[in-house]
Amino acid sequence: MLEILLPILIFSALAVAVIGAVRRIRLWRQGRPSKVAILRGLVAMPRRYLVDLHHVVARDKAMSNTHVATAGGFVAAAVLMILVHGFGLGSSEGLGGIQGWLLLAASACMFVGSLFVARRRRNPPARLSRGPWMRLPKSLMAFSLSVFLITLPTVGVLPEGFLQGTGSWILALVLAAVLVWGLGEMVFGMTWGGPMKHAFAGALHLAFHRRAERFGGGRSTGLKALDLEDPEARLGVETPSDFTWNQLLGFDACVQCGRCEAVCPAFAAGQPLNPKKLIQDMVVGLAGGSDAAYAGSPHPSQGLGGKPVGEHRGTPHGPIVAREGKALVDADTLWSCTTCRACVEECPMMIEHVDAIVDMRRFLTLEHGNTPGKGAEVLDNLIATDNPGGFDPGSRLHWAADLDLPLMADVKQTEVLLWLGDGAFDMRNQRTLRALVKVLRAAEVEFAVLGNEERDSGDVARRLGDEATFQSLAKRNIATLAQYRFQRIVTCDPHSFHVLGNEYGELGGPGTPARYEVRHHSTFIAELYDAGRLAFAPWKGGSVTYHDPCYLGRYNGEFDAPRNVLKALGIEVKEMERSGFRSRCCGGGGGAPITDIPGERRIPDMRMNDVEETGAELVAVGCPQCTAMLEGVVDATAEVRDIAELVADALVERPTAPKSTGVQQPAVEEVTP
Amino acid sequence: MRPETRDTPSLEITVLVSVGRHPLTGRGRRADQDARGVELARGLPEAEVQLLHAGTLNEGSETALRGYLGMGFDALALLEQPEGADILPALAETLDEASPQLVITGECAERGEGSGLLPYLLAERLGWPMVSGVVAVEGVEEGIATLLQALPRGQRRRLEVRLPAIVSVDGAAPAPRQSAYGPARRGQLAFVPGAVSLDDDWAGWQVQPARKRPKRLKIVKAASARDRFKAAAAKAEGGGGQVLEGVTPEQGAAAIFKLLKDEGVLR
Repeated sequence: MLEILLPILIFSALAVAVIGAVRRIRLWRQGRPSKVAILRGLVAMPRRYLVDLHHVVARDKAMSNTHVATAGGFVAAAVLMILVHGFGLGSSEGLGGIQGWLLLAASACMFVGSLFVARRRRNPPARLSRGPWMRLPKSLMAFSLSVFLITLPTVGVLPEGFLQGTGSWILALVLAAVLVWGLGEMVFGMTWGGPMKHAFAGALHLAFHRRAERFGGGRSTGLKALDLEDPEARLGVETPSDFTWNQLLGFDACVQCGRCEAVCPAFAAGQPLNPKKLIQDMVVGLAGGSDAAYAGSPHPSQGLGGKPVGEHRGTPHGPIVAREGKALVDADTLWSCTTCRACVEECPMMIEHVDAIVDMRRFLTLEHGNTPGKGAEVLDNLIATDNPGGFDPGSRLHWAADLDLPLMADVKQTEVLLWLGDGAFDMRNQRTLRALVKVLRAAEVEFAVLGNEERDSGDVARRLGDEATFQSLAKRNIATLAQYRFQRIVTCDPHSFHVLGNEYGELGGPGTPARYEVRHHSTFIAELYDAGRLAFAPWKGGSVTYHDPCYLGRYNGEFDAPRNVLKALGIEVKEMERSGFRSRCCGGGGGAPITDIPGERRIPDMRMNDVEETGAELVAVGCPQCTAMLEGVVDATAEVRDIAELVADALVERPTAPKSTGVQQPAVEEVTP
Repeated sequence: MRPETRDTPSLEITVLVSVGRHPLTGRGRRADQDARGVELARGLPEAEVQLLHAGTLNEGSETALRGYLGMGFDALALLEQPEGADILPALAETLDEASPQLVITGECAERGEGSGLLPYLLAERLGWPMVSGVVAVEGVEEGIATLLQALPRGQRRRLEVRLPAIVSVDGAAPAPRQSAYGPARRGQLAFVPGAVSLDDDWAGWQVQPARKRPKRLKIVKAASARDRFKAAAAKAEGGGGQVLEGVTPEQGAAAIFKLLKDEGVLR
């Protein structure tokens, strides 16, 4: 009887799944067009899944093994099941019955995996979503077990006649019912919005990812430019359908594992942002409806523990943020993000949270004119004075009045262009800059500054959503830089570093290519030390830890150079628990100190607690924002100092240094015509 | 009780906007007080707000004018006047024709003559009342507007004025909303025709950057911290003022003449 029933069950489940897939694809296609290499993406997909995605999943060894067993078992079992039970290719006559045995092995493997999934679900950590996800291990077991049992007679372990007679009729019916449950979750649920949707949407998301450069060990962190040429185009994302279709697909791929939630500094601070919930809000938006079915941690809410779920609703063509009242997401949620990229780094599905948040911020700033806090004032300052503080642009070099810095306008060409950044107006950062100048002079580096010709890099404007001001600043900076010849830009500001190095390139014109070789000062100092151009006195201070700036580490992959410099100083770094690519944000990025969304705690306080846990007396930093945020912590147990300051303090005369400078420098092609 | 079904006629407001100038960089921008005036108008329920600018349209002024559009307007009426023209007759004529109930201006332009006399001269020409230093329009009923006027040291005075009227906004009026790039870019600059009357005097003027005026030193003889605080918080005010009442114009003029002599303004 099962021989007749099974093909019907399997093929009808597949047919319903195909209908669901078509419907789901139509939901994604509501998004804006996006240029994606479809075929190349599909071809690259298995590799992206098996290598790149698995690389992220494998940070949790137990979970990755569970996933390999379950998912691997399922894919194999599903394919073999269609062959064996769907097409009846399992009988012992054909191919010696090997498919049947393989199917047994696959379903057994999947069953073992599902046992681990079940163990995981017994006491799930807070970051995991509950709801339909809690039934998933049972569904996995139902599928694997029923497939296993049904296959037993096929391979001849049980006699063919075993499933005949009245008792076995009932047994067969029970087996078929369990299989229906399994098929329902695994095949039907995959395209109709069940937990298994992540496999279907995830696979396609990997194939059509908006940042294909990220796969194969690459890095792609620069925000994508908004086209400002078309005056009628809506700027930014107002409704879910304003996202590109592959962004919508990406949201749909979310497995709700909550790794983003666990690392998000805003979530930890009790600010109203949970990246996982935000992505789920987008899924609600693209399908239409309310967020009542969401079963994970909500967006935190000051004093309340969490914003109640079920009060927000949206449609694909309705607004995401309402001007008044509630829509899909509250504006505060979007403005809580520090753009630290911890969620993106941690996401096993490689979803781009930060891109989505900035897209929505762009609409709020450029169309609504609703940048909260001091945002509007900062943007006005940037427009009127080219710096966020509203200082006289002619006073950019006042801190260096006694240093006699060479100006690009005078020297026209140099080896190193020292980019000062807006820290030039900040008295704390001026100490860092002075230290850096001292180091460069000690190493006899040929350098110059733009002085008053320099403008804000546009980092803050861009992350506050004001793409127009960013592009205006960027284009004027590019035009200024195009007048001079230099080999590389060195800066002590990782934000300028990132924007100049990764985001200006897109904005260069035909006569003014904007591809620069940019170095963070820690990288450059490390190079100078390696070339023997700097010598340090041994370290006499106490224990030291190092805080990785997000825009240097996660955004640009520079984790080693600062540590190498500290090592050269004779410092042994006491690492914080969250360091390197998992470093916790200081709270200073993405305009977060400007929009200043209230939370229960302050992000820099939490970071200084991390510092305190190491017992370090000093925390070395490499970013003016981090310095400002961490120094703002009251009753801190550690002193905050920039790497440049530590290096400047430790400088000693080089013993018989070679007099010629620049000899050990690697030959570098000039970047400006 | 039935809700009021009578159609309340919407309040027609014209805000006169000028091209501002950033104090540090001199870049064109929406003038701060004019933007506050726009914000004041925007904040009124049932108001039909028109923006009106008299001047030239060029690259510099366009960005500034679009700054006002970015506060949520579809169009800005542009009364084209060449550089150096006296905009008063043209403005008065336009306002007389459009006959709005309320005209809002800033107190003083950020570039050009910047005499701060425009609202007064307009009021004189149109024969409308003029109220300076307004921070809020509290309500309009039966052609009478209730205004809140700013006085020194944070004091406020409530005034009633018959419409149509001209009001100028104080720097203490609510800060203008952010100007959004999208609406600013899409908004229309609609030209309206107007007579041009050239200012012959202006052509002969020589313009030079202003020198900072010397400030009168405040001599604080304070015994306690409280006195010092009061002195620091106080606005400078002349203590020797006098109110003349019931005097002839000649006596008044003589008193003013004497004061100017004493202060060293006239020698």
